[in-house]
Amino acid sequence: MSKAPGRAAAMPAALRAGAARRVDTRALVAGSAVALALVAAGPFVLPDFMVNNLIRAFLYAAVALTVDVLWGYTGVLTFGQSAFFGIGVYAVGLIFTHAGFNFEYAALAFAAAVIGAVIVALLVGWLAFYHGASPLYASVVTLVLPIVVTQLLYSGGTFTGSSSGLSGFESFQIELDAWFRIAGAFLVAVTAATWLFVRSDAGRVLVAIRENEPRCEYLGLDVSRIKTWLLAASAVVASIAGYAFASVQMVVAPEYAGFVFGTELVIWVALGGRGTLIGPVVGTLLIDVSTAYLSGNMPFMWKLVIGVTFVLVILAAPEGIGPLAARLLRGGRREGPGAEVPEVRPVADAAPAAGAEGAGAALEVSGVRKRFGSLLVLDGIDFVARRGELLSLVGPNGAGKTTLLRCIADGGERSAGDIVVNGRSIERRPPHECVGLGVGRKFQNANIFDALTVAETIRIAHARVDRPSLWSRSATLDLPQAVLRVLQTTGLDQQLGTRVRHLSHGQKQALELAMVLSLEPSVLLLDEPTAGLTKPERTLIGQILVDLAHTHDLCIVLVEHDLDFVREISSRVIVLHQGRIVLDGTVAEVVDSETVRTIYSGARR
Amino acid sequence: MTAPALELDSVSSGYGLAVVVRDVALDIRPGEIFALLGKNGMGKTTLLKTVMGFLPIRSGAIRMSGEDITAEPPHRIARRAIAYTPQEQALFQDLSVEENLALAVRDEARRRDGLRRLGEVFPFIPQRLKQRAGTLSGGEQKMLLIARALMSAPRLVLVDEITEGLQPSVIQKLAAVLKAERERAGTAMLLVEQHVAFVLEVADRYAVLKLGEIVDRGAVADAGAEPRITAQLSV
Amino acid sequence: MAQLLDIVTTAAILYAVAAGLLIVFGVMKIINFAHGGFLTIGGYSALIVTRLGWNPWWSLGFAVVIGVVCGAIVERLVMRPLYARPLDAILATWGLGIVVGQVITLQFGREVQFVQSPVSGAMAILGESYSQYRLILVVLAVVLAVAIGLVLNATSLGLQTRAVIMNENLARGLGINSGLVRFATFSIGSGLAALAGALITPLSSVDPNMGVPWLVNAFMLVLVSGMSLVSLGVSCLVLGGAQVLVSTYGNPVAGGLTIVVLSALILRFRPQGFARE
Repeated sequence: MSKAPGRAAAMPAALRAGAARRVDTRALVAGSAVALALVAAGPFVLPDFMVNNLIRAFLYAAVALTVDVLWGYTGVLTFGQSAFFGIGVYAVGLIFTHAGFNFEYAALAFAAAVIGAVIVALLVGWLAFYHGASPLYASVVTLVLPIVVTQLLYSGGTFTGSSSGLSGFESFQIELDAWFRIAGAFLVAVTAATWLFVRSDAGRVLVAIRENEPRCEYLGLDVSRIKTWLLAASAVVASIAGYAFASVQMVVAPEYAGFVFGTELVIWVALGGRGTLIGPVVGTLLIDVSTAYLSGNMPFMWKLVIGVTFVLVILAAPEGIGPLAARLLRGGRREGPGAEVPEVRPVADAAPAAGAEGAGAALEVSGVRKRFGSLLVLDGIDFVARRGELLSLVGPNGAGKTTLLRCIADGGERSAGDIVVNGRSIERRPPHECVGLGVGRKFQNANIFDALTVAETIRIAHARVDRPSLWSRSATLDLPQAVLRVLQTTGLDQQLGTRVRHLSHGQKQALELAMVLSLEPSVLLLDEPTAGLTKPERTLIGQILVDLAHTHDLCIVLVEHDLDFVREISSRVIVLHQGRIVLDGTVAEVVDSETVRTIYSGARR
Repeated sequence: MTAPALELDSVSSGYGLAVVVRDVALDIRPGEIFALLGKNGMGKTTLLKTVMGFLPIRSGAIRMSGEDITAEPPHRIARRAIAYTPQEQALFQDLSVEENLALAVRDEARRRDGLRRLGEVFPFIPQRLKQRAGTLSGGEQKMLLIARALMSAPRLVLVDEITEGLQPSVIQKLAAVLKAERERAGTAMLLVEQHVAFVLEVADRYAVLKLGEIVDRGAVADAGAEPRITAQLSV
Repeated sequence: MAQLLDIVTTAAILYAVAAGLLIVFGVMKIINFAHGGFLTIGGYSALIVTRLGWNPWWSLGFAVVIGVVCGAIVERLVMRPLYARPLDAILATWGLGIVVGQVITLQFGREVQFVQSPVSGAMAILGESYSQYRLILVVLAVVLAVAIGLVLNATSLGLQTRAVIMNENLARGLGINSGLVRFATFSIGSGLAALAGALITPLSSVDPNMGVPWLVNAFMLVLVSGMSLVSLGVSCLVLGGAQVLVSTYGNPVAGGLTIVVLSALILRFRPQGFARE
């Protein structure tokens, strides 16, 4: 009966996690079933005018969901989903008008809609999501896209129907009631799939990107590629919705691809509740149906009301009307419970990173220079560091210490020189590729992902090694020994379900360290790891670092101002001053050095 | 007794959840030069930023000549005859020397007087009025900072690590300028510093900040002050 | 030769439209999507002047006044609460643009209407007969550029504004009330937008959505110009010129897209656009 206490404790956790996952899926199935039943019954109960409107509203809501995933979850403000809708719409319009309608042409149109959407999305992704692009530029590109599309349509003459569009083409012989059910089912399917996706482990990555994109790049995530593929998936959904739309309406016009529609989608999502799923769906349905009813009587007044409400929501309730109502009903601010806690399991220590042996140099820096305009911040830095070394970089402010760390972690930073990690040059690689070479950088400010839990954060940090699922939440979290050590020593292993924003400063610093170690680096770069910590916290971190260097054979380079700390734990100290290495030696050598004292205190003995 | 030029009453502040400055209490008398010492990362700049209103105060109060300035926005505090020279990015690199000065001393007459007075001490300033501030050398930029601060004839000057990166001759000159100004106008000064010799030369009283708390204070002229300060600041 | 005149006049018009947007962008670090709405307000101010039967030149002053007042109200009520949320500020200004469009529609109706031009007819220049009004616009744009330059470089407010553009916190530390600078900048920027609207309406017409195509071109020009008004002049000439050439030798639709597409591509490969650094 005596199981090891760890395993006994672990069992209920796994069961709990598994049970929670089953509850989730059951809720999803139940919800979908109810929704489908409502959709099936709808045409029997609702007047014809309403059925007609709702077909359109269902399809719009599906597109609004894509806007929500891009904007509410991932932080990419896009005005351009209408362009992809328009691609689907015109695939139908063009082919059914100019070629005719039969099964082959319908399939061709479908393929054209999907492939066209993907190609345009990849192009937009290349333009808007490159490494270093500003969010403003990305949004501007998404605004330009529908403008370009509509202008092209306007200039298409009789082929595209120009401003009048195309109409009167033959389409599927399906009753309106049946279309209602098809569109409704499509919306339910898209909502369910989106729900699974955003709640999966991979979905948490989107939130991480929204909260702190640069941090994600330093965790080895290729953010540009993730966003581009997300855009492509969203484009396909929007395009299929457009395909259905044109097939029902049998009228296509450039407005459906235009930026007015694109911005309306953003407004519906903002009003309904960005970052939730039901919000945009309900918001779109309500607003679109209301517009249909009220538009006849007072079209401009209604649009004015929507516009004013939109501005008010942005000012006073940015989360949206849906979440605001939910919050008020719940009686005050209370966040949803943290996700269920996964069971953490140790993984056999990975073999040391590519190509490195115990004695080989982990890090070689040669002739590195960094220029900011006319200012030379680093002026020829040369040194070699090995695994197992704990190297401290010290020097007055402005000596270039943080700049040097940046150059090692990001191949694009330096102006000249070379940096070799484990025998491979980092060349001009962006941060996420440097992570792949074995570099892990811990930032000075513990500015992480406030909305995620500790466990979710570490899972994302480990994502490069252990791919997260696209649709489910894993009940276990497999981590290397070094990470477990940090979690256990700092007590974070008891806080796995806590949201990061509730952690103390010291705990956040510890989490940062755990995140970096989850990358399984061979070279660890730490920027002021003890900033803001209390004395006992500093001692703890110091012990952990020494342990990491000796037992786990990491090469640790740290920038520190607390010279007592440096003295206690370093095996080697490099002193930087005005961009150059002034001294490189053991702690004793540096402490006794005349030069260093002069630099620091200006006093002559 | 007249109110202190600056009084910090159990001030705590920091960034986010980090408490960087804990329960700091000190007062600077009118006409006094006060040195706040400490190694990097110990909270000196954070304290100055809190006084100037750039960082919210967690607890405590700040008073200038008896008036409570704890909750005031930075631009209001800056107008209270107080001059602040931050450590980084303290000049508008793309504006001319003249424009940089004009931003700090809006009144033309005062500026002319100040320029005359300080132009004798720093002759390069009147010679380079139209030049972009970014073209001056590091030492000249720091001297311009001090000139800008003193030109408005403030009652209190906050100086953040002015000696950093300067040659000894320039540091000597700055020490003389500060002392002369104090003689002439009775300006109180809070100098945040790590340069021991400069502090010993210029300051009347000092306090040492370590991990956000004051661990030592006294008069610079005291017998044991110099060795104590040196020990606390060295490697 | 007509092309050259077209290029110069197009650049002048673009400059007038974009200058206000650039200044607001520099100080507040956001693109004011309500700029198009203010443009429209300016256009309709000119319409009011036409309806009242006043001398059409009055429309310029009238538009500026209305623009400044509206801008001041918007800055206090909408922009101020959003200082800390720039992306939301952009959305809010977009919403405002929509609101302006709807209010104008309710008040004036949806149809295209015409404004009396202060100057009509053509004059002979450089061997061509060219619209007098367009030529006057060039002069006015130059006057505007010089005026803005003078204010920024020779006045105290202008110096403070430039300081806030370069480093807002440093400016505050020197006693500059950056909130006041933002207020003044936004109001003046809105006034400039309205002025531009009044200037361009005699060229075509007014309708509630006239501001939108100008807005898109204007903010692409601003993004490509960085924070410099000189750079804006260059962008207007280069990209405006490209637009004219493509419209003439290619087709007008492609011409309409030239500025937008070229700017996006330029920024992709050189994020600072035409700016110096």
